[in-house]
Amino acid sequence: MKQLNSILRKLIRNSAGRTKFTVAVVGMSVAAFLLLTAVQIQVDYNQLLYSKSSKDSIANFLVINKVLTDANLGNTTLDDSIINDISKQPFTEAVGILTPSRFKASIQSNSNRFPFYTDIAFESVPAAFIDVNDATWTWDEQADFVPIIIPTMFLDIYNFQFSLSQNLPQLTPAIVKMIVLKVNIYGPNVTTSFNGKIVGFSDRISSMLVPQEFMEWGNKQFASDLSGKSSRIIIRTKDPGNPMLTQYLDQHQLTTDSDKTRFSKYRKVVDAVVVISGATGTLMLIFALLVFSLFIQLTIASCKEEISLLILLGASPTQLKKFIMKQFFPANVWMITIALLAVTVLQYFIHQFLSNQQIVLSSIISGYTVGSALLLIGVLWWVNSKAIQESIHPKRSKD
Amino acid sequence: MIMLDHLMPVPLEERLSQNESTQIWNKKLAFSEGEWIKITAPSGTGKTTFMHILYALRFDYTGNVILNQQNIRNLTADELSAIRKQKLSVIFQDLKLFPHISARENIELKRVLQEPFCSAERMEEMAATLGISAILEQSAGICSYGEQQRIAIVRALMQPFEWLIMDEPFSHLDLANKKIAAALIAAECKKRNAGIIMTDLDDDDLFPYTRKLVL
Repeated sequence: MKQLNSILRKLIRNSAGRTKFTVAVVGMSVAAFLLLTAVQIQVDYNQLLYSKSSKDSIANFLVINKVLTDANLGNTTLDDSIINDISKQPFTEAVGILTPSRFKASIQSNSNRFPFYTDIAFESVPAAFIDVNDATWTWDEQADFVPIIIPTMFLDIYNFQFSLSQNLPQLTPAIVKMIVLKVNIYGPNVTTSFNGKIVGFSDRISSMLVPQEFMEWGNKQFASDLSGKSSRIIIRTKDPGNPMLTQYLDQHQLTTDSDKTRFSKYRKVVDAVVVISGATGTLMLIFALLVFSLFIQLTIASCKEEISLLILLGASPTQLKKFIMKQFFPANVWMITIALLAVTVLQYFIHQFLSNQQIVLSSIISGYTVGSALLLIGVLWWVNSKAIQESIHPKRSKD
Repeated sequence: MIMLDHLMPVPLEERLSQNESTQIWNKKLAFSEGEWIKITAPSGTGKTTFMHILYALRFDYTGNVILNQQNIRNLTADELSAIRKQKLSVIFQDLKLFPHISARENIELKRVLQEPFCSAERMEEMAATLGISAILEQSAGICSYGEQQRIAIVRALMQPFEWLIMDEPFSHLDLANKKIAAALIAAECKKRNAGIIMTDLDDDDLFPYTRKLVL
């Protein structure tokens, strides 16, 4: 077999030229690199968006309200039709209504050592949308106190701005949770006071939250206006960076915390990179495949006489096809391997770069990328095989 | 066994149908295993055409060639290749050597194209017998025609075969070399119990033919 191959190598020479071969190989490698990079970028982006290690809880819940303009001042309530429409959108997993309090309220300190008083408004939201797990998050008329959740931001403002300027002590979340507040509710004719306790801090909803049971009871007892229309809703979404979501909000003049949808901008960039890299790679691959298969056919055509004589002496077309495949196909496997290695190195450096920015990304390439490389090898095998098959099989004349 | 059933090459049909002396064209006949057949064919009677039909190189004919119950017209490319490796060996009139590789490589190619039938030593012996040992490393293209003819003969004897088809195999050899080559061929055919089908312009007694036919 070794002797046969060495003679065959002399007869079926790579006579189409080394330069053409090198151009074909380089073109194919770059094309494979671009395609595999596109796959890897897509996988990386999905990992950043969905993986547990980097999941940003605030990113998955969005509080939505109308954009406040001169035209809709005083009319910012969201009617049922728009809420239903939002709930039907593909990016929406669940919708919760933020119920505002329809009564006046205030909270004040029970302690003379730490005196404060402020008017306040509450909101409530279904418990499933709250990022604080607290067993006391419920209320009835016999309850000892009204549990309250405040935005983490409020405590930060107090600790890092207000307390310093007023010469007040800084408070840890644990201390805040121990303070018993006085909650005053003002009805049309009567004022009712409750004890209140801060039971948690929310990163998700920038509002003073009370349990829904308390809100329903309070609105029923003290509200002067019982229309109960809500101006804000909260939605749970798989991907706050979904451009469809931001587009929908824009179209319906709705808004949310733009920081939470910031991913949509990144995603557009990532999508563009993936599309450009993928399309360029595919286009280059098609041309490289064309060049490569023409190259194979040219080589076979230039050895046409030798091949016919070999067949005439008894070499089978299958035997020659296998031999020619062995001459060309390993170059293809090398090309894909090199492209895959280049993507691996790139991924490692991206991992290093992002880990400095506290973004966790895998340091190795994904199974999808390896799978795509194998698929590419399969495609190349098929194209090579087809090009050889078409050039080598003799057309038997029967005329 | 080879059966010839009313063979008639289409391009030569008009001319050959006038030929009343032919014992092959448009006749039905069989070559039995191990037969040594001499076909004498004056110029223009389709000698090379006949050899090419037998070796399944061309199919522009009417009638059929049946080799071991198989119509060679219906063979696939790979089946044909297997037959050329195991059952039919050939010495072409125009030799069909690869001019750019050495004489040795021309012969070696046929030896290793299938599971080798002859050892490398036997190949050397045959080359020595035919007096071409000295030119084995030369490119076949620069050897004299007589040397090329002997290279083609050794090459044809490298493989197993049931039939050796020869088209004017000694045309450029002197009588002494003809006899040496014929003796070598005869010995190798006997070793394989193989038949011979040889065409030439004139009659000869180089082999103990079992049958002589006129094309």
